[in-house]
Amino acid sequence: MKITNLKKQQGSFLLNVADATFEQGKIHGIIGSNGSGKTTLSKIIMGTLPYDSGTIDYEGLTPRDITMTGQRPYLMHTSVYNNLVYPLKVRKQPVDEKLVHYWLEKAGLEDKKKQYALSLSSGEQQKLSFIRALIFKPKLVIVDETLSNLDPDSADLFERLILEQQQNNPITWITISHQLVHIKKICDMVHFMDKGNIISSDTPHNMLMQPTHPTIIKYLSNTEVSFKG
Amino acid sequence: MFENLFSDYSLTVGMLDSIRVTLIMSFFSTLISSVLGVFLAIMLEKHDFKGKKLIVRINRTLMGAPPVVIGLLTYMLLRKKGPFGDLRLVFTIKGMIIAQTLIITPIICGMVYSYLVRTAPKIRAFAITMGADKWQTNMLILQEIKNEIYFSIVSGYGRSISEVGAVMLVGGNIKNRTRTMTTAISTLKSAGEFEEGIVLGIILMIMAFIVQSVADWLRKEAVEDENY
Repeated sequence: MKITNLKKQQGSFLLNVADATFEQGKIHGIIGSNGSGKTTLSKIIMGTLPYDSGTIDYEGLTPRDITMTGQRPYLMHTSVYNNLVYPLKVRKQPVDEKLVHYWLEKAGLEDKKKQYALSLSSGEQQKLSFIRALIFKPKLVIVDETLSNLDPDSADLFERLILEQQQNNPITWITISHQLVHIKKICDMVHFMDKGNIISSDTPHNMLMQPTHPTIIKYLSNTEVSFKG
Repeated sequence: MFENLFSDYSLTVGMLDSIRVTLIMSFFSTLISSVLGVFLAIMLEKHDFKGKKLIVRINRTLMGAPPVVIGLLTYMLLRKKGPFGDLRLVFTIKGMIIAQTLIITPIICGMVYSYLVRTAPKIRAFAITMGADKWQTNMLILQEIKNEIYFSIVSGYGRSISEVGAVMLVGGNIKNRTRTMTTAISTLKSAGEFEEGIVLGIILMIMAFIVQSVADWLRKEAVEDENY
């Protein structure tokens, strides 16, 4: 996916991504300070926010190939099961109960499948949202701050699920996170956003361990001191 | 004893017919208002256009408009010399349904619109992430706010069966034809027949309770269906 001269004015904030490439089948991380435009960019890629000008070349992906899960996911006022199979129903795909069981078990929600989804804890809601995003085999998944609110075990589970998915059937991931440990562990490429623009794209090792851009050095020194260890 | 009481009241104010008229009027006016109100609310929330704020404000004003004023306007429109006089709807149940629809539709529209403004953008964004098309998105929105729609309709129905002024003006309170339970109570009060008025009032309350119970039961069934 290639983004060129993408602009979006939101109040006093201007998103202005001159040039960015998200190679297919890779895990991309987007990092940057709060208010740098990470979520705005992800919403534009997802199609939930219109943009003013520029181009996004999805390279053959259709809106139905893309999905997104966030820190405060929307869950329908129904059971866990009905939430999980909703994207299959939307695509008029038959519900494969074995597949449903597989994902529920992965997320530790098997015994809660009849439960009202909104009665789940916030961590469980994020897990449900995450497996719901994967159940219909998307080609691009945007994960916006989903890991920020999870306990370490659940965050590990998410990382495992992403890496398992990449081993079995590689898809494109765009993960937005302040958890630099997570970014370093799973991402193939990291994109740094500052004041609405992607100012640097590099491998996690280069960006996080050998940063050269002064803004990135400042961000890393302020954000997380322990991840290098 | 009850048989005597029943027949006496029936003769005095046409009780059975007032129950029949009330049921027909409240059912059809609520039904028409529900369809119109929900549809208008969806259109209003979905589309941005010049004058939208004014329309929303007018609708909110109509939500609290005195029914007797709406009744008077409807009467003027439907009376023999009015623009719709040829339809001969004044002093008929149909005319009363029109007046009630004009009273209830803004209530249902306003309530559903308020719910939609708060929730529809989130649901719409979610639907895009799930790959839903426009039709599926609209269905999802309706499904997600169905309880709120239900409460709006019940509120509209409550207004319909409790209303006196508009149905009195448009219907004329004609015994056995356009007299409703509320206008019958009003007539009984004027005649000093308080006990009979209370009996009708109790029947009215029981009817409201039955309707509420049926609606609750239907809603419970729907919720249970969702869990498989």
